[in-house]
Amino acid sequence: MLSYILRRVLATLPVMAIVALFVFSLLYIAPGDPAVVIAGDQASPGDVERIRQSLGLDQPFLVQFGTWLGHILRGDLGTSIFTGLPVAAMIAQRIEPTLSLMAITLVLTILVAVPLGVVAAWKAGSLLDRAIMAFAVFGFSLPVFVVGYVLAYVFALELEWLPVQGYTPLARGVWPWLENLILPSIALGCVYIALIARITRAAMLEVLTQDYIRTARAKGLGQGDILFVHALKNAAVPIVTVIGIGIALLIGGAVVTESVFAIPGLGRLTVDAILRRDYPVIQGIVLLFSFVYVLVNLTIDVAYTLIDPRIRY
Amino acid sequence: MDRRTVLKGLGGAGGLALTGRLFAPAIAQNAAARTLRFVPQANLANFDPIWGTQYVVRNAAALVWDTPYGIDASLQPQRQMVESEEVTDDGLTWTFRLRPGLKFHDGEPVLSKDVVASLVRWSVRDPMGLMIKAIQQELTAVDDKTFKWVLKQPYPKLLYALAKNNSPCAFVMPERIAQTDPFKQIADYVGSGPMKFVKGEWVPGAKAVFEKFAGYVPRQEKPSWLSGGKQIMVDRVEWVVMPDPATAAAALQNGEIDWWENPIADLVPVLKKNRNISVDIGDPLGNIGSFRMNHLYPPFNDVKARRAVLMALSQEDYMRAVVGDDTSLWKPLPGYFTPDTPLYTEEGGQILKGKRDFDAARKLLAESGYSGQPVTCLVAQDQPVTKAQGDVTADLLKRLGMNVDFVAIDWGTVGSRRAQKTPPGQGGWQMFHTWHAGADCINPAPYTAIRANGDKAWFGWPNSPDVEKEVTAWFEAKNLDEEKAAVGRLNKAALENVVYAPTGFFLSYTAWRKNIAGVTKGPLPFFWGVSKTV
Repeated sequence: MLSYILRRVLATLPVMAIVALFVFSLLYIAPGDPAVVIAGDQASPGDVERIRQSLGLDQPFLVQFGTWLGHILRGDLGTSIFTGLPVAAMIAQRIEPTLSLMAITLVLTILVAVPLGVVAAWKAGSLLDRAIMAFAVFGFSLPVFVVGYVLAYVFALELEWLPVQGYTPLARGVWPWLENLILPSIALGCVYIALIARITRAAMLEVLTQDYIRTARAKGLGQGDILFVHALKNAAVPIVTVIGIGIALLIGGAVVTESVFAIPGLGRLTVDAILRRDYPVIQGIVLLFSFVYVLVNLTIDVAYTLIDPRIRY
Repeated sequence: MDRRTVLKGLGGAGGLALTGRLFAPAIAQNAAARTLRFVPQANLANFDPIWGTQYVVRNAAALVWDTPYGIDASLQPQRQMVESEEVTDDGLTWTFRLRPGLKFHDGEPVLSKDVVASLVRWSVRDPMGLMIKAIQQELTAVDDKTFKWVLKQPYPKLLYALAKNNSPCAFVMPERIAQTDPFKQIADYVGSGPMKFVKGEWVPGAKAVFEKFAGYVPRQEKPSWLSGGKQIMVDRVEWVVMPDPATAAAALQNGEIDWWENPIADLVPVLKKNRNISVDIGDPLGNIGSFRMNHLYPPFNDVKARRAVLMALSQEDYMRAVVGDDTSLWKPLPGYFTPDTPLYTEEGGQILKGKRDFDAARKLLAESGYSGQPVTCLVAQDQPVTKAQGDVTADLLKRLGMNVDFVAIDWGTVGSRRAQKTPPGQGGWQMFHTWHAGADCINPAPYTAIRANGDKAWFGWPNSPDVEKEVTAWFEAKNLDEEKAAVGRLNKAALENVVYAPTGFFLSYTAWRKNIAGVTKGPLPFFWGVSKTV
């Protein structure tokens, strides 16, 4: 197992290298010029050119790529063209809100979606099952920003229970931290709750028809034990797979959620960097996200062995 | 007490117990009263007002750095860091003396060598600064409090240049910072103004924090725009960047923020209904909508084609698309200069007035030789103002019988593509949309967009000696009457040549909670005199 994990970790290196080359090339050929944005509307073409030179943007592709790669190999993600701050420091500033949002959303999703899916499978064909599936379709169809606005209107503006926007670091207290994340997590979690509830239901339906479930019932086991101990464990592989994919997708969803709820996370940093053509920041974030994707996939693969002892690497 | 307060109390107690800060609620309440939370127009992505000249940088910089002179609400330069000035009869030698008590945020006194170094850096990047530099004999520090500027020929607008609010402003920095290459960003933000920039709390794209500088000595006069006594009434100003206007509106209604610089027109009715919120016009100098035609390539290299477009365009169509049906937010602009300012003129503006004459416009277009070739029209979709204008233009051009190549892109791409001088089929363009701050259009000094000096002109590269002659006449004017006459002729020449197409004058609102007092109208948000009660 250890050698498998080591091999997988080593395999991330060429993946990251390809991602780095791809992203750098894409940005190089993409239209737009950060020097124009920096110089402002009143600047002369000469001013823009001077700024471009000072940033090294007038250098040939290979020189720029080589310089960037040299920094990366030394563990330096570079410096933001606009802020003059190290990209690593900017990511560090923004990573806590995004991780917090993703963690709360994930916990909420699993706590709500899995029981919903299990209950829907247990009561398959009933009114309860239909209601849960209708909710799933609804949750799946609604854009994150619409859910976000509705939640903010009801729970922040009308009821005044929760704040509209912002983020408070965990270091300032659990409730201040949590109250800023409840609405965004629900907004972001809706689609994943719907997705995982449906997958859980489908996986459970298959398992519930197995002989050992009938045996468990014949032995007189309680419904809860049958559903959550025997059936769910055997239905867990596809559910864990989808949860893993969901984590990756959450990063994309966080972009919209962070904008709607003004959370200063990595999603907003990405959008801002793209709009301004802040190349080092874009490259740094894409590398980070790629690494996270690879790591999530690895974690899911390892988790399979814990859920199903038959799986071995 | 509402449920949120209860929840806050309960949860706060739990959270605080975890972090061991049981008395934080009372402290937080006091801190809230001393902290002004402000939503700026854009993200403060960098903080060097000379290197980066975006308005949002200028607005933040005005808190942190002071200027030798400051423009007031009547658009006149007033002494700010300068105590007195003398000019020789020939207008060539200016001697300035700094007022006592000026200090940088690191406690060091502001000396004339700091001012000189700051002006040297500024003059490399500022259009007026460049003009002064071109006629400068020397700029030197005479002693710690006195500096001298010797010119080779008179420059009557010198004090205006040192006072103007147009970016870049002549902000005074310590010499060691001001010696940074003007094309490289500074990393040290020691200021000379009434507030300190808290670099440690700066989260670009999300938050910028400014703290009151206890060592700042305000002038005794009443504040007026960038001049007068800059008394800061709160301990802390927090800029909270909110990319989503609906979120900003909700946060303002909820009391999570105190002041929103530029609410979008669609949300203003909601804010006006809230009894805790005041809404008013923010910047009385407003904005001028515009689109520019490329004077280098057909069809707009022929003035007849440019005039044909001007004859047909309806500014009302543009303004309704930009600001909606609130007629108090816009007015037609048969010219190029900001309404309700001393130099405003409609001379030569007939072409933009009255009923639109499409038949005459089509005839003129045909006379220009236009025969259906595609017109590449760049329209930034991520800026509401440019998107709205672009849609109206596309319709206008089609009604004129033109073949529109509508290029929907983002503002960043427009920014780089508009600089391309290559033919439209090879990466160039024939038309793009933008807008100009009214503060930049009050006179020809900061008005880059009206210049028609060919290769050196703004994008579109208009070339008109008549226009340039009148710009020079304004710079040389010795009194307001001469200035008005020059600008009248300039407006006429620019319209005849169609330097660019003005699509109308529009205003925007600002909104703040009623526990905030002292918000004034101006071309940028002024924080001096603004106070807050709980």
